[in-house]
Amino acid sequence: MTTLLNKLIDDNESEQFGILDEYSKREIRRAVLTAVAVPGYQVPFGSREMPVARGWGSGGLQITLAVIGPNDIIKVIDQGDDQGVNAVNLRRLIVQSTKVSETTTAAKSSIVQSRHRIPEDGLDQRHILVLQVPVPEPLRGVERDMRELARMHAEADYSKMWVSLYEDKVRNGVITQTTGYPCLVNDRYVIATTPIPRWDIPKLDHSPFLTLFGAGREKRIYAVPPFTKVEPLTFEDVPFEVEKTEGATCSQCGSNSSFLVEIPGTQTRWVCSDTDWCERNLEGN
Amino acid sequence: MNNAEHVVLDVRNLRKHFVLHTIDSRIVEALNGVSLKVSAGEHVALAGTSGAGKSSLLKSIYRTYKPSSGAVFLKLDDDSFVDLVSLTDSELATLRGTQIGYVSQFLRAQPRRSTFEIVTKAGIQRGMDSDTAKQAAAYSLQRLNLDEALWDVSASMLSGGEKQRVNLAAGTISPPRLLLLDEPVSALDPLNRESALELIGTLTDQGVAVLAVFHDMDAMERLASRVIVLRNGVVDYEGSPMETLARLEGVAR
Amino acid sequence: MTSVVSPEWVLKVNQLGKIFGNLSENGLALTGPEIGSSKDPATGAIVAAWDVSFEVAAGEALGVVGESGSGKSTVMRCIAGDQSSSAGSVQIRTSPDEQIDVLSLTPSERRQLRIDKIAVVYQDPAEGLDLNVTAGGNIASPLTAAGWRNFSSIRSRASELLLRTEVPLNRMDDVVKSFSGGMKQRVQLAKALANRPPIVLLDEPTTGLDASVAAGVLDLIRGLLEEFGLAAVVVSHDFSVIEMLTNRCIVLNHGRVVESALTDQLLEDPHHPYSQKLVSAARA
Repeated sequence: MTTLLNKLIDDNESEQFGILDEYSKREIRRAVLTAVAVPGYQVPFGSREMPVARGWGSGGLQITLAVIGPNDIIKVIDQGDDQGVNAVNLRRLIVQSTKVSETTTAAKSSIVQSRHRIPEDGLDQRHILVLQVPVPEPLRGVERDMRELARMHAEADYSKMWVSLYEDKVRNGVITQTTGYPCLVNDRYVIATTPIPRWDIPKLDHSPFLTLFGAGREKRIYAVPPFTKVEPLTFEDVPFEVEKTEGATCSQCGSNSSFLVEIPGTQTRWVCSDTDWCERNLEGN
Repeated sequence: MNNAEHVVLDVRNLRKHFVLHTIDSRIVEALNGVSLKVSAGEHVALAGTSGAGKSSLLKSIYRTYKPSSGAVFLKLDDDSFVDLVSLTDSELATLRGTQIGYVSQFLRAQPRRSTFEIVTKAGIQRGMDSDTAKQAAAYSLQRLNLDEALWDVSASMLSGGEKQRVNLAAGTISPPRLLLLDEPVSALDPLNRESALELIGTLTDQGVAVLAVFHDMDAMERLASRVIVLRNGVVDYEGSPMETLARLEGVAR
Repeated sequence: MTSVVSPEWVLKVNQLGKIFGNLSENGLALTGPEIGSSKDPATGAIVAAWDVSFEVAAGEALGVVGESGSGKSTVMRCIAGDQSSSAGSVQIRTSPDEQIDVLSLTPSERRQLRIDKIAVVYQDPAEGLDLNVTAGGNIASPLTAAGWRNFSSIRSRASELLLRTEVPLNRMDDVVKSFSGGMKQRVQLAKALANRPPIVLLDEPTTGLDASVAAGVLDLIRGLLEEFGLAAVVVSHDFSVIEMLTNRCIVLNHGRVVESALTDQLLEDPHHPYSQKLVSAARA
């Protein structure tokens, strides 16, 4: 092991497996292990400069490259789209620097890196879902003082979050927050589920797969381990509801049971956000 | 009537000196060793020239003034005596609420709440339940001829005479063991004064020990069973209203 | 001797002390009312409060009187847990079986105490309220902290409290920032009472308000203290506030208690030279 490490470090000629050096990977994996051990807790880590700009998935990328091995199969999506510009670039970077195989089908992959979505189907206990997180702090909107934020998490004092949900409901009649909906993990820590929509939140609750959240700019990693309780914060008498437009169906595959996004145009059209799922659904029909 | 068995208030050698630190530590002697007893159902009036120590005595018993020495024994429900001078502040506060009534010329600072509430509140403090207190408040206010239209009005809006009647109603809503009166009818017109004096008389009949200062001799003559004349902070002499008042009037002439 | 029952204390402060800086060996002897300073001449340490003791029972209000810098607010902040103390103890007893030693609690436990045991009403509404949140939302804060999770229950409890503190209900959903000074204090009171705490600390609750507004707020406070049987500590330099709200008082001067008395006695027969100076200044 040590020999291998020395060889890797000394050998400037050969390309690194997955860009990061082994020390960096180890540091990130330690943070990941801590995050898994304390579900929902934001673990600080020494976020590296990556060949992508911060805010463009550098946190997710670092996690993926730290946990990936030669036999993994990678799927990368932006929104639900494997062909999004950001997805294509990140996938290309990962594949080129690790030589792993790629796929667009969630079920065939072993690691899914995503910015906005959890794939509609196919994830089970073999999978690691890596989410790219812009703002990891769920309380950012209600408190600015870093020490106070740390205290609130330490004492599980989330009353300010509840007050903001109360205010939202009072001002708007409904709780308007859509992406990044605050959730209580394992009855202890509140996390920001950014950037996934409410639609995907029920999939996190007691999910068979491991979800790792990486925020490169904010230097934080947190996790929802498999089969862990994830509960969206809401009042007893204000049910948590996922986004749904009555009567909308996918204009390509006709689905009304998947997360749909609106296509701008003169006439309102809807399509599945998860393009791979949409294609398979279409073929199945 | 001044039967030892019925003594409710027993003041012994009470002294009160003020040290005025802001005026070269000048010492002002208000009481120089007053001893007196008041029994249940007895009305004792204090007389004497202004500055003789009448109000100071009432305040020292109530402990608005903190006595410099001496003792003020008050009989409790279980017939034991307690020295008001040696009680802690909170013990005394409790005792004031339940056993001692103090009615002065002035209405103590009150929140701007209705007259009726102030009187009712006094009853509740004396241990009445809310309904009984309301009935008693209505009864007292009626007896003192306070116009019902004023019951809902904040006491701070009332005239001096009206305030004084509110004060009396609150102080007498349930008969206290000891009632201290400091010119309680000074601001009242003749008619209202009459009903106030009647009310005070009734309390004595109910067994309340009353120690009072009146500005007019007529009230003393009507209500007091005994008059104690103070002079320079000590008891000068005492006797029946007839003889003391005659002597006082003689002095006045 | 006595069958006079002294009411059971709910809040007991015993020999509380707070020193800022390092006190020299004789520092305590070199400070205090006799010296006329709370600053240790050797080290510059400030004896903000020393040997402060009192008890407060349910339904009782104790006044803490003194000029600014006398240590009033320090004492209050130590009790509230906003500030650590250097000496003494603060105990609260909310039932015969529950006695809490406030100063030995962790910061987190002290915060818990503030949810439903000790409420504080500050002079500055910004300290007690989130001014960018609605009146209802400010009350929702202690309620949710105490575990309330039902939106309509929170709404109805908040309206009940605002009604009681005389805040028009049509302003319940307005941000507190837009409220007048007196109205902000009423919202603070509603928030303070949200979880029916047995103890409330009032720090100059009406200072800075117009006289007529202050009078209204005082009326309200007095009514609330009586209605809820609260054990209250009222910190104020204003004797009209003390007279209106309290039955007993302590007078602080250079961090020490120079006199403790029944309120009417303090006003009519103050003993300590400092108390006499304060009272005569207030009466002038």
